[in-house]
Amino acid sequence: MSAAVSFDLIVIGSGPGGEVAAIRAAQLGLKTALIEKAPHLGGTCLNWGCIPTKALLEAAKTYTKLQHAGELGFNVGQVSYDWERILARKQGIVDAQRKGLRFLMKKNKIEVFQGHGRLAGKGQVSVTADDGKVTTLATKAVVLATGSRIRDLPFAKTNGKSIINSDDILSLKAVPKTLCVVGGGVVGTEFASLYGRFGTQVTIVELAPQILPFEDADTVKELVRHLKKQNISIETGSKLTAVQDQGDHALVTTEGQKPRAFEQVLIAIGRAPVTEDIGLATAAITTERGFVKVNEHYRTSADWVWAIGDIIPTPALAHTASAEGIHAVEVIAGHKPPVIDYQANPNAIYTAPEIASIGRTEQALKEAKVEYKVAQFPFAPMARAKIDDATEGFVKILYEPKYRELLGVHIVGAKATEMIAEFALGKVLETTVDEIAHTIHPHPTISETIMEAAHVAMGGAIHL
Amino acid sequence: MQTETTEVLMPLMGEGITEATLVKWLKQPGDVLRQNEPLLEVSTDKVDTEIPAPAAGTLLQVCAKDGDVVAVNQIIAYIGNPAAASAVVSPNKAAAPADVHAAALRPVAATVAPHQDAAEAAPRRSSPLVRKMAKAEHVDLAQVAGTGLHGRITKRDLEAHQSKAPLNALTTPTAATSGTLKTTLVGDKETLEGVVVRREKMSRMRALIAEHMVRSVRTSPHVTTVFEIDMHRVVTLRDQSKAAFASREGFNLTFTPFFVYAAVQAIKRFPIVNCSVDGDDILWKDQINIGVAVAIDNGLIVPVIRDAGELSVLGVARRLQDLAQRARSKKLLPEDVQGGTFSVTNPGMFGSIVSTPIISQPQVAILSIGAIIKRPVVIDDLIGIRPLVQIGLTFDHRVVDGEGGARYLAFLKKTLEEFSPAEL
Repeated sequence: MSAAVSFDLIVIGSGPGGEVAAIRAAQLGLKTALIEKAPHLGGTCLNWGCIPTKALLEAAKTYTKLQHAGELGFNVGQVSYDWERILARKQGIVDAQRKGLRFLMKKNKIEVFQGHGRLAGKGQVSVTADDGKVTTLATKAVVLATGSRIRDLPFAKTNGKSIINSDDILSLKAVPKTLCVVGGGVVGTEFASLYGRFGTQVTIVELAPQILPFEDADTVKELVRHLKKQNISIETGSKLTAVQDQGDHALVTTEGQKPRAFEQVLIAIGRAPVTEDIGLATAAITTERGFVKVNEHYRTSADWVWAIGDIIPTPALAHTASAEGIHAVEVIAGHKPPVIDYQANPNAIYTAPEIASIGRTEQALKEAKVEYKVAQFPFAPMARAKIDDATEGFVKILYEPKYRELLGVHIVGAKATEMIAEFALGKVLETTVDEIAHTIHPHPTISETIMEAAHVAMGGAIHL
Repeated sequence: MQTETTEVLMPLMGEGITEATLVKWLKQPGDVLRQNEPLLEVSTDKVDTEIPAPAAGTLLQVCAKDGDVVAVNQIIAYIGNPAAASAVVSPNKAAAPADVHAAALRPVAATVAPHQDAAEAAPRRSSPLVRKMAKAEHVDLAQVAGTGLHGRITKRDLEAHQSKAPLNALTTPTAATSGTLKTTLVGDKETLEGVVVRREKMSRMRALIAEHMVRSVRTSPHVTTVFEIDMHRVVTLRDQSKAAFASREGFNLTFTPFFVYAAVQAIKRFPIVNCSVDGDDILWKDQINIGVAVAIDNGLIVPVIRDAGELSVLGVARRLQDLAQRARSKKLLPEDVQGGTFSVTNPGMFGSIVSTPIISQPQVAILSIGAIIKRPVVIDDLIGIRPLVQIGLTFDHRVVDGEGGARYLAFLKKTLEEFSPAEL
């Protein structure tokens, strides 16, 4: 059945970029197909990323809360956990979301093909099923949303046992006693925070002078203070030289240090775009350092192919991929959506406390010699923070002095990842600090710290 | 009851007026209006007036509030059927019909280019940041194309607009890029109201003069008063000394130095015409520096005779000769055209009898000289022939009243009519 079916749009990859793009396309009346290589829809985000990790991080949060239940007036006795049931709950959430996605595809009449999708010349896409059968589909347009894969460390090959990657660590049979996390990026720091709270002695080895190098130094400093209380030691500016598998443990050597033994070593040095073997050459699509080159509407050098998400050089985040997918599909359907402003793209790190941010960091503004001012307000004086037993944290607003345009916002503390949405909207609407100060925030909530930080910029906070 | 929505635009209320103050809305949103019923009061430095409703219907929305200064041709309200009110919010329907109904209030065609989306004819959506920037940098948002959701003007659009503005000056003019007139391309010919036009970029000097003239008219309420002056003493004196002057100085003695001299003597008596206005303050000046307009190719330049208070007629003549010569050979220095405190223009040398010039800001007065023409006049009940000249003083009514202007000219007239050879 070669070239039997013809579509308006074929989306390759069903992660948060592709899945959302396909649904939006169907809503806009395009006859749409979705190709997924893995047995389940949802890509990295749903199967090995955002969703399972947050399910486990939430368990860590609950565990910590229960351990401190006495301070809140509860007699809970000795708190213990059942790791298997925690993993089962995580898997239950993932399964439910997978099912939900299948339902959405059916509801929107999106034809799903399981197999390896490749561009196969102008207007053609081939799907190679697991059994080797090749189907060729005709289409007017393609959205490439093939995502990213875990980047390997050549001298520390993962084995799924003593040396593991971020996929393996989601289904460890038991919580390790010691863990070395190689790479203090978002993935590494979140897993450190997760296992540290379950009692693992964690060491983060990071080459850069700061973990989470792309976050503001002040929020990271505050987080580091808390991580240290979660059985985590952090070694920044530290160069890894060797990782040796020793069967039931591994030896980690960093420059200037003797080899140290860890029950497990997590290699979390980042992700690489999946741009090989998807037929880019057949459509003469240009790449740059492995990323597909696109214009501001995500169109590639081939006028019928668009690319979104982790395979283009924009922030590799699920919500970013979704936004790009919607944009690309709206353009394909003949609409004129506004160009995405990445300064309004939020970052969210689900550690304890959380970090969330938007726009530029203070160090980036300094480096770019942009004139800015800082307005900061702590959680501590707020009633809600005390009620929630979450007094650690602050909102830091970086703004341009003349018009008080938001240049960057950095929040560390409980609910930071929820609160950043207000600034994402503010940034999209080009709100200045003035409008935020004049916005009534509900009392008592932690969101009042946002208003108070804006008041600081306007001349003085009320509750400090 | 109509079904379309009508835009109400701020009307043009006089040449050179680019904005007006919205004094007061006489109707509120929701009020039902009859056509031509007074809708709002506006005020400019020339007129205060009521603006009638351009169409019958319900006042759906006002886009400016009492006290706002609004650019001419900017949308200030929408009138329509409340059932169609959503059309204002979802602007797809709002654009086309507006042209018809707002026509009465629209002395020049709308500035919204026809190729733009209907969305952009609706109230201009923008952001708090954009509005602040536009206000501080005096950008008319009606001229900015929005690329945000539903045509919203973003910071990026504003910056693109600002960086584009000076660029246009360098590129070949295309239809309706630099001005506000709505022209249409018919084939490859640009037309204005059906007439084929050829677009030419103003020279830098021309554009500066244009800007200055508009600004001056907007700044100063101009009043002109004219006196007729008998020049026979000056003419006689000049005729007598002309040959000797020319051989001694190497150039001809013209009448302009006499007028400048007389203007200076009158300033000494009535120094208010030599001041500047700064808000509610008057700035008195301790120098009399007379700018004398000199026509040059496709423009004019106004070199300044500094400290003219110290000069005799001959002194003025020498300075004027030097400045005029350097003006025409483009050898003036920056200080030669700066610091003028009063101006003299002499279109009479081209035959003009009376003229009403525009004040050179920040001065407050300009003297205009007509042609000297021999006319029959009645002197002691006898008819004689006398060389007469009409001299006008155009002054800023903020600081000089009609009486002051007349007294200044009366003194100037006396100086010229009773001119003594000793003053030469």
